[in-house]
Amino acid sequence: MTDYLEPLLVSLKTVTVTTVVTFFLGIAAARWMAHYDGRFKSLIDGLFILPMVLPPTVVGYILLLVFGINGPLGKALLALGEKIVFSWEATVIAATVMAFPIMYMTAKGAFEQVEPNIEAAARTLGANEWRVFWTVTLPLAKAGVIAATVLAFARSLGEFGATLMLAGNIAGKTQTIPIAIYFAIQAGDMDKAMVLCIIVLAISFVSLAAIAYWKGMAAKMKPVKVS
Amino acid sequence: MLKIEAKKELPGFNLDVRLTAESGILAILGPSGSGKTMTLQSVAGLMKPDKGYVEVNGRVLFDSENKINLPVQKRKVGFVFQHYALFPHLNVWDNIAYGLKDVPKDEIRVKIKQLLENMNINGLEGRYPRQLSAGQQQRVAIARALAPEPDVLLLDEPFSALDPILKERLELELMDLQDVFGGSILFVTHDLNEGYKLGSMVAVYHSGAIIQHDTKENVFSHPINRDVAKMTGMRNLIEGVITGLDGENVTLDIPSWGEKLRVVSERAGNYFLNQKIIVGIRPEYISLAEKQGENVLPATVSHKMEGIASSNYRLRIKSDTSEKRYLEAVISKSSAGPLPENSDCYLQLHPELLVIMAE
Repeated sequence: MTDYLEPLLVSLKTVTVTTVVTFFLGIAAARWMAHYDGRFKSLIDGLFILPMVLPPTVVGYILLLVFGINGPLGKALLALGEKIVFSWEATVIAATVMAFPIMYMTAKGAFEQVEPNIEAAARTLGANEWRVFWTVTLPLAKAGVIAATVLAFARSLGEFGATLMLAGNIAGKTQTIPIAIYFAIQAGDMDKAMVLCIIVLAISFVSLAAIAYWKGMAAKMKPVKVS
Repeated sequence: MLKIEAKKELPGFNLDVRLTAESGILAILGPSGSGKTMTLQSVAGLMKPDKGYVEVNGRVLFDSENKINLPVQKRKVGFVFQHYALFPHLNVWDNIAYGLKDVPKDEIRVKIKQLLENMNINGLEGRYPRQLSAGQQQRVAIARALAPEPDVLLLDEPFSALDPILKERLELELMDLQDVFGGSILFVTHDLNEGYKLGSMVAVYHSGAIIQHDTKENVFSHPINRDVAKMTGMRNLIEGVITGLDGENVTLDIPSWGEKLRVVSERAGNYFLNQKIIVGIRPEYISLAEKQGENVLPATVSHKMEGIASSNYRLRIKSDTSEKRYLEAVISKSSAGPLPENSDCYLQLHPELLVIMAE
């Protein structure tokens, strides 16, 4: 039983933390870039989306360079008594880096869809940028933001390559479901692999159904155009 | 009292305007893309002019020279957007309450009830914008803009999306709005009739500049040039020369028609003999005459488009010169008999209804 439970628990823990972190990071970056019009716009935008187009192993390699004991961040963290490589935190870091672009892109698209005059109206009524964002932009972009979150959740659930490279395969610590499936198949344990696959299928299906449900709800909240 | 000066250079477009407004309604009239909305945006702080100055009731909102640029939130400007921009996720009550964040709760209640009453939208407070008709949405948008007691109210093409019957009713309501709102009301329109009916003052825009800024009567009766005249619906503009001046009476020679015209103008004193001028005639001011006489021109109907109460005519002046000269006329059916295409008629141009302007 622990064969299934351990990877499931590691995965759930990693995915939950990753989704929360990605949610806030992605929304902050998306809000900022939706209004940013400087000359580095395309450069920053490209940088944020880069992990999505790179092979996960390349991202994993870069993360190893950065967080390894000789890497800039790795060294600094080691001085504080934290070793990132092959730790549980590494699964979160790898999954966050891989899930961030999809959260960022989808949320940014949702923010850009919000009618600028509605935000402007809030400003003329005295609302500061913070209030405009929380009471107008975010509620109106709700469907997109929820979709983004579900996609980020799904992406982090499926994360394999970068996680394996940075966090390794330590049962009960860094062995997430996708990694457990891979090693089960390597070891010829097809039954274990199948059960784990069914678990992933179930989680994925529920998240997609959730998107569809929320989109339906949010469609009723669309701004009205006068005709 | 509102003072606006705004200059902004954009690729392919230059805004350079200067406006003042007392309390009452100022209509900003002009074709689309002439900078009308940008002017409102500079007042509200939604757009920053390169250079300029905005002052409302002695409060400086923007002054490029002294680096003053109050944020939108602090300007106390009520803005009614073209498609109203109501918050679709909030009901009418919460839409109106949005600008009343720092007001005590019981005061908000009293205030919103008053606004619902004033704007005639009682009973709609629980509805969402999508459940409102266009007219109701406009009333909510105005109530929402008035709630924080702004110093000026700006309306961007408020009637452009409405059907004619509703439009007329809401125009009347906007006139009544002056009873509950004492500040300046600026409203943007490309509709001539709207501008004339609602504005006590009118500013005529033309590609980023104001070409005339005056009382409604002066703008419509004494356009300062051809552009204003065109914009205010004077579709017939004919070149002439002054051949006689006698008090308010001006005699003109119209070379292209080979005719003389008499014009009565209270501004006759501004003109001199032999001056080349433009004479403007509104299509609606042309009537039919029985026979030849003073200011009567023989003409032939070249095109006719029949309307319900009046018809639009394109008339060719029968002149001795070889040029083909046309006049546009709108003649009411009650005054004209059947006037089919290619029939002959006499046109009466009343001296009091002709307008002269410098070339």
